[in-house]
Order: sequence, then structure tokens, then C-alpha cells
Amino acid sequence: MNIWELASDVTIFTLLPLAWMAMRGDARNRLAAFYMAGVVITLLLMILTMAFHRMPMMDLAITLALMSFGGGIVFARFFARHLQ
Amino acid sequence: MKTIAIEILLAAAVLITLLSVVGMMRMHDVYQRMHYIAPPASLSAILITIAIFLQQGLKPESFKALFTALVLIGMNTVVTHAAARAFRIAEVEEWKPKDGDEVPIEPSDEVIHK
Repeated sequence: MNIWELASDVTIFTLLPLAWMAMRGDARNRLAAFYMAGVVITLLLMILTMAFHRMPMMDLAITLALMSFGGGIVFARFFARHLQ
Repeated sequence: MKTIAIEILLAAAVLITLLSVVGMMRMHDVYQRMHYIAPPASLSAILITIAIFLQQGLKPESFKALFTALVLIGMNTVVTHAAARAFRIAEVEEWKPKDGDEVPIEPSDEVIHK
């Protein structure tokens, strides 16, 4: 096991408390946990790319980062307009 | 030497992410929780990108990682602000402070010194 695999293993476990937070509490707290999970998974994809030596997989991290941005803005607008 | 540097950078990045998630769990207010998105989105992303540059050199995947880190930094600031503004609108229907609201802006404000 190299250092990238070890780092990815530890980072994966940070998703457990985020999943817990995303399933309980009010919508605002769940949305905050969702944003955090998007960032953590993007970092995880970067680390996994290096761990498995599959360099084209770095595109997945770029895609997720960009889609999280769009999704985050849409969620925020939806929240402001419809979940008052 | 390069391997040790990569290990230190990765360990720091993962530790920052881990501590941020723990900090997010510990906070009760959603506005406080959202502050903890910034460290992994900025510091961890930069540290991982530096580690990838050290490991791979000036390869396309290194620049892809740099682009991802820049997107994360930019995304975090915009999305966090937009979300906090949406939460404020959902609470009070107007995100700007109204006349008479006690919002400390300057250090000389009376609200701070109460």
C-alpha cells in the first residue's frame, strides 16, 4: 500500500460523518453537509487517480468540481425561492 | 527526499480534511458549519496538487489537478456565499440588514462594546 492509497482510505472514512449529517437535521444543515461531501469526493478522486495510476481519471475530478459548482448554485437558488 | 515531501503534503491534506469534517460535526449553527468547507476546498486541494506535481512533474494530469484546485477554491467562495444568502432569505425574506438591525460592521460600533 503506497501513501496515495493510505490517504484515499482515510479520506473515504470522512464521508461517513458527512453522510450522517446529510441524513439528519433540517434542510440547511443537510445542504451544508452535501457541499462538504462534494469537495471531499473531488479531493478523493484526485488522490485515487494517483493511487491507481489511472491518469485519465483526473478528468472525473474536474467534472465533479465543475458540476458541484453548478449544482450548488442551483440548490441555493431553489432553497431561497421554494423552501422558505 | 521527494517521497518524504509527498507524504508530508498528503498527510497534511488528509488531516485538514478530517479535522474540518469533525469541526463541521461539532458546530450547531449552519453558518458556522459552512466555514469548515473552506479548509479542504483551499488548503487540502493545494497541498494535494503540489504533491501531484512533485510525483508526476510537468505532466497534463498535474495541470488538470491544478485546474481542479482552482475550480474548488473559486467554487467554494461563490457557493458558500450563495448558500448563506439563500439561508438568510429563507429565514427573514430579505438578506440585507434592515434599519435598526444590530449588525456590527465597524470595530467602533456600539454593538461590539456592549
